[in-house]
Amino acid sequence: CNCCCPGVCVLYFARSAELTGLKEEQLVAVPTELSSRDLWGLLLQRHPRLSLLQDHVVLAIRQQFVAIGDQLVSLGDGDEVAVVPPLSGG
Amino acid sequence: MSEDVSCLKAQLEEKEREIAALKNKLSLLEKSQTLVLDLHDKVTPLTPLRAKHALSNEDIMRYSRQLLLPDLGVRGQLNLSKTSVLIVGCGGLGCPLAQYLAAAGIGRLGLLDYDEVELSNLHRQVLHGEENQGQAKALSAANAVRRLNSTVECVPYHLQLSPENALQLIQQYDIVADCSDNVPTRYLVSDACVLSGKPLVSASALRMDGQLTVYNYRGGPCYRCLYPAPPPPETVTNCSDGGVLGVVPGIMGCFQALEVIKIASGQGSSFGQQLLMFDAQDARFRSIKLRPRQAGCAVCGEEPSVTQLVDYEAFCGSAATDKCQRLHLLSRDQRITAQDYKSILDDAGPHLLLDVRPLVEVDICHLPFSLNIPLSSLEERKSEHLQLLRERVGQLKRQMAGGGRPPVYVICKQGNDSQKAVQLLEKMSGSELDHVTVKDISGGLMAWARTVDPTFPQY
Repeated sequence: CNCCCPGVCVLYFARSAELTGLKEEQLVAVPTELSSRDLWGLLLQRHPRLSLLQDHVVLAIRQQFVAIGDQLVSLGDGDEVAVVPPLSGG
Repeated sequence: MSEDVSCLKAQLEEKEREIAALKNKLSLLEKSQTLVLDLHDKVTPLTPLRAKHALSNEDIMRYSRQLLLPDLGVRGQLNLSKTSVLIVGCGGLGCPLAQYLAAAGIGRLGLLDYDEVELSNLHRQVLHGEENQGQAKALSAANAVRRLNSTVECVPYHLQLSPENALQLIQQYDIVADCSDNVPTRYLVSDACVLSGKPLVSASALRMDGQLTVYNYRGGPCYRCLYPAPPPPETVTNCSDGGVLGVVPGIMGCFQALEVIKIASGQGSSFGQQLLMFDAQDARFRSIKLRPRQAGCAVCGEEPSVTQLVDYEAFCGSAATDKCQRLHLLSRDQRITAQDYKSILDDAGPHLLLDVRPLVEVDICHLPFSLNIPLSSLEERKSEHLQLLRERVGQLKRQMAGGGRPPVYVICKQGNDSQKAVQLLEKMSGSELDHVTVKDISGGLMAWARTVDPTFPQY
């Protein structure tokens, strides 16, 4: 992430960048521990149009795949979250 | 007497030259005929690829610059020469992939594509030329590859990969590369690779983004592990709608070539459990570590529910093509043809022509009297656009002496978005907007170009 401010940096790729109108954003005051489902919910709250990608998106924290579910994830300042919808063109 | 002799000798020499020329012509013709590739329209068994035990002097010279790499060396080169690779799709990804694999000395290339070369392919499908328009892409690609390296065996397949032929085809190859352009084919190729135990080097590209993963490789996930359910078809953008910068699939296809070469030569791939993302806008690569093969996966899991190939078009709810699919959202009386609209113009009937394409497409071409409000602005109820629409409808109403509902005709590129806009405007009519009569122009501007104005550009 290019930003150096406190908080969690969210990167949006491909369709998610179109739906949010953002390539990256800084989230402050994110709980340090939450379920991956709640993290996705948080992003949906900020960008309701992301719901189009529901169940068809890869979520990654610190460049590691995270399944959207009950699994707890920890987040700290400078951590990177990536939203990656699949591409099918060629 | 001596004059007669020399004359006859001269004639004889002339005839001999003619015979030599004819023989030469014949041998060239025979050679070029054996060079004509056999285009396969169905899957047939191939003879096993014969393993080379040593490199010829010509091989050594041709591959010398890569033989110098300790990572490849003679052993790697020999491994390449006994590997067969099936390339599914000879488009923006498949062209550079085939080119580099052939150049590097892969043993056999299966080149599959059901489509023909079109002018709008050439900006990214770099093996095809202007003279190949209308030709089967598989054949055009095979001929181009053969010019590059005639020692590579090419098998062009002019057919659609299907649940009926995929296993028989894929079983005959060592490595499969997914260079396709649609979701059903991606699931089909992945399932077929799992069922036949082949590594799948998969890439995709759209607009300014690219992705790459090697599936079903050394305990890594398959496509279904990552995407258990297909996306709703209306959320999928294809290259013919969304556009793509040619060099983006070019870069991703080259990446595929790199990973295929690493697997084939014995070095192994770095992307078995990685998803590589390329953002061409910021020239940024990102790599995500994926989970291994999922025990609960429907096809590669412990108790698979998919044990044979299924109907992938039904599974995904879309056709296995990236061509525009026609929507049928409106009834017949809600639509007019491009010719009908031409008559309305000729009769100078007062109306509003609303073009709902995005601005970037309106810049390519538009009808001069149209009002442009993109469908997305209508959907989001953008206030400045709604205001503009209200004003134009108001003007039209004042123009119409006899009263009645002002007619609005909606147009887009091919007649899908225009139908969505008609449904939206009908909801808005009488509430957010004055009462209007809305119809769409069936087939859009492309139908206008085909049936009314042949000088209008098509894209």
